[in-house]
Amino acid sequence: MKSLQAALTILFPIAIVLLIGAAALLAAGHDPVAVYADLMTEAFGGTRRIAASLSAATPLIFTGLAAAVAFRVGVFTVGAEGSLYVGALMAAWLGFTLTGLNGWLLAPLCLLAGTVAGTLWMLPPGLMKARLGIDEIVTTLMLNFIAIGLTTWLVNGPLLAPGAANSSTPQVVETARLTRLMPPSTLTTGFLIALALLFAYAFWQRRRVGGYETLIGGLAPRFAGASGIDMPGLMLRMLLLSGAIAGLGGALQVLGPIGRFVAGFSTGYGFTGIAVAILARGNPFGILIGAVLFGGLSTAGATIQLFSDVPIEIVNILQGLIMIFAVADFGLRGWFARRAGRQAANGGATP
Amino acid sequence: MFCKPAFAASTALALLFAAPAFAEGRPAALIISQSGLGDQSYNDLAYAGFERALASTGIEGRTVESKEVVAQADEILRRASDAGFGLILDLEFAHGEPIAAVAKDYPDINYVILNQVVPGDNIASVVFREEEGSYLAGVLAAQMTTLPGVEGINEQPILGVIGGTKSAGIDKFIVGFIEGAMSVNPDIDVKVGYSNNFADPAVGMQMANAMYDDGADIVYHIAGGTGIGVIEAAKERGAFAIGVDTDQDGLAPGHVLTSMVKRGDVAVERIVADYAGDKFPKGQTISLGLAEDGVGLSPMEHTKDIIPADVMAKVDAARAGILDGSIKVWDVLSQGAPDYLK
Repeated sequence: MKSLQAALTILFPIAIVLLIGAAALLAAGHDPVAVYADLMTEAFGGTRRIAASLSAATPLIFTGLAAAVAFRVGVFTVGAEGSLYVGALMAAWLGFTLTGLNGWLLAPLCLLAGTVAGTLWMLPPGLMKARLGIDEIVTTLMLNFIAIGLTTWLVNGPLLAPGAANSSTPQVVETARLTRLMPPSTLTTGFLIALALLFAYAFWQRRRVGGYETLIGGLAPRFAGASGIDMPGLMLRMLLLSGAIAGLGGALQVLGPIGRFVAGFSTGYGFTGIAVAILARGNPFGILIGAVLFGGLSTAGATIQLFSDVPIEIVNILQGLIMIFAVADFGLRGWFARRAGRQAANGGATP
Repeated sequence: MFCKPAFAASTALALLFAAPAFAEGRPAALIISQSGLGDQSYNDLAYAGFERALASTGIEGRTVESKEVVAQADEILRRASDAGFGLILDLEFAHGEPIAAVAKDYPDINYVILNQVVPGDNIASVVFREEEGSYLAGVLAAQMTTLPGVEGINEQPILGVIGGTKSAGIDKFIVGFIEGAMSVNPDIDVKVGYSNNFADPAVGMQMANAMYDDGADIVYHIAGGTGIGVIEAAKERGAFAIGVDTDQDGLAPGHVLTSMVKRGDVAVERIVADYAGDKFPKGQTISLGLAEDGVGLSPMEHTKDIIPADVMAKVDAARAGILDGSIKVWDVLSQGAPDYLK
């Protein structure tokens, strides 16, 4: 029931977006049915395309989850992008420096370093929020610019691969690269780690004390505070957790499909993750669907160009529309609540 | 409910698209680099060459542009390879390793990578000898910077050059420029700066202004969008800039002394034509310099009136020297950075 509700809250805005997108396609002289069919084929038509979509969805699961855990306590962070960048750079740096290490040791070390870097990156805004009440939207947003600037500077200078024509580090050692699940696709074990995290989050949010505390903390912070929950500490912890998840996501992207840190490797994963989290209303299953949706759209948007004249802009418009409609509620929740109430009144029998 | 007929329809669609292409030479795909179409530079230029080549050869072609081009390298390359394309041209800098890996699995497909050398039997690498064109720009600028009676020129022998990033690919231009300038005046002062950014005109403007304040009157930029700010600064100060990649002389007429044009379009056009004529340079590295018309100075439409004939004669002499081999310009990619730039 919960999953069905999550699926519907996501699919309803998408249906509206498809209608608006169809109008835009018609206006541009394209056949919307054919374009959507092509997009479907390119996103999910066959194992290779599914693998490509899941590969593109992987970083979005991390950033989506990173946003969701913070939103849960009412901390509106936009800092996943920054944590992702520093986590990715840290993993890449160790990955091409500690070449003497065994891959079995090096890969976990890189992932750990990325996670720690992402966590620490959220420490200043977390402390500022918890101790001084400084608005986290501003601080995390500013830290994004710093993270991107700092990493770009590093790969332009000290960490630049010799002879590289663009701003990137050398490749990480081959043995530290993640195992590909369905070679030659770039879908790696990173996706499995993402799924494991989603499961852990689902379990924690329903069954653990922390899940309850954060729920109450997010819904009614003053009540939570009065009930003895340390709200500032809780906010700080969740923001750090958010940074950790995003940093791990960045590290996995480096050890996975890319194999090195490339300046501008993120297409705004952190920001798309915010849309994923809002679209999912924090539901873990919803985060998975949202991430796969955006991932599929992005990979299909690239390869559809091999087969049709649809400009990439139309795919970008679809993505943008989904983000806009993601925040709208459409009263579905109310509908579910009423339905649940009716069922309860009928003694649980389906009407 | 929506999926099944959709798959059927799109398969039919894909067949429709593929059919005419197979009739005469398999189609070609062009993968645009991260900065995307509309950059008025590298991508746009290559795309223009691609379109021209398609028109003249009758080969079918598709262009792939994606923000995910770096992370989805393998996926995009393999999709194109599976889809029956016979020639895949890749403009993305970060695709060196992916293209080498994918090309191995598709021995009957031809791959092209620009700006780097990737070994492989079915890969052609295209590199430019940017140092040669930059050398000519240096010869021209070093003469102009002390020329009396030209508005915007002071008597000090000081030039500037701004690179987008400290890398071998950019230092190639810078060293060529300095070598050219020093061939005219061994005591010339060439100020070197890196913007660490290819897309911020404000930074370019700031850096250029700082160089103009220090006595430079001509600043060469190899910094993409950041360089637009350099040209803007030249216009505001009444000084001079030197453009790069495309003919940027018209961006600030009279204030862009010349542009070091890098003919990515020529490279792409030539390769597609070779492919159409069944002469694809498999496993070869194609090096395009002055001799191949791959690099060179712009026609200087707006500045030719202020450039004296004897100055131009020296530029032409340097060009002739490079062509006949009597002048060898330092190449950072194969020779490493010279001492003065370390």
